[in-house]
Amino acid sequence: MEVERLGRMFDELWGSASQTGRWVPPVDIYETDNHEVVLRAELPGMSRDDIHLTVEQNVLTISGERKYKPEIRREQFHRLERLAGPFSRSFTLPSSLDTSKIAAAYEDGILSVTLPQREEAKPRQISVAVK
Amino acid sequence: MAIVRWDPVHELASMHERLNRLFEDFGGRAEDEGIMCGDFVPPVDIYQTDAHEVVLKAELPGLKKEDIDLRVEQNTLTITGERREEKAVKKDRYHRMERVCGTFSRSFSLPATIDPERVRAEYQDGVLTVTLPLREESKPRQISVAIKS
Repeated sequence: MEVERLGRMFDELWGSASQTGRWVPPVDIYETDNHEVVLRAELPGMSRDDIHLTVEQNVLTISGERKYKPEIRREQFHRLERLAGPFSRSFTLPSSLDTSKIAAAYEDGILSVTLPQREEAKPRQISVAVK
Repeated sequence: MAIVRWDPVHELASMHERLNRLFEDFGGRAEDEGIMCGDFVPPVDIYQTDAHEVVLKAELPGLKKEDIDLRVEQNTLTITGERREEKAVKKDRYHRMERVCGTFSRSFSLPATIDPERVRAEYQDGVLTVTLPLREESKPRQISVAIKS
């Protein structure tokens, strides 16, 4: 993760000189108390049709493209910091997740993907009868 | 028309801060600090439309309208706010944490040709759009010149 961030930082530093920098949307992944894994990706200003989410053999891939507004010419820009272009990020899912129950939502520029754990993978409490 | 002054010192300072943050990640801070929050610098686009408006777009994903503060003071437009960490998620529940939370503040000096009374803003899909119309008197006018033969 650190290496990826360093890479991203240098990409931003040196890449900004080129026409379009490589866009790597930042992602948080965490577990909830309801035994779900939630992935949240920052994809501000996109339309839902431009976001693609696939699960193939336990690999979840978020890809898409943010397009520059074609009606605005380059010379009209005073400042251009937001990155655009295609992006793709893949994550290997543990087999304890039930990929058939995947749910996704896009709100306030954040794509949230929720993956519940399989029933059999949820922690169980076994009461031990002490004689 | 220069709307913003590029401030290399600020950019260096933010770079320095981010590097610091990175090394703090390596070294590890006190455990009881909970989720780390730094400062983030939301990327901003500024362009002029054919309708004689200057449009500013700032990427503020995952914020609520109430958490964004926008003000125009003496020809300076300032966007401030705070992104809070996910509530009720403990740090040890994170598998991956790349998004930055914390406070942010960005200021832009506006040219005198902007009408500060008619500034409007909207927040949609994580992008704050501020529209700054030009003053009537500073819009380009076409003056037809009658050429006598």
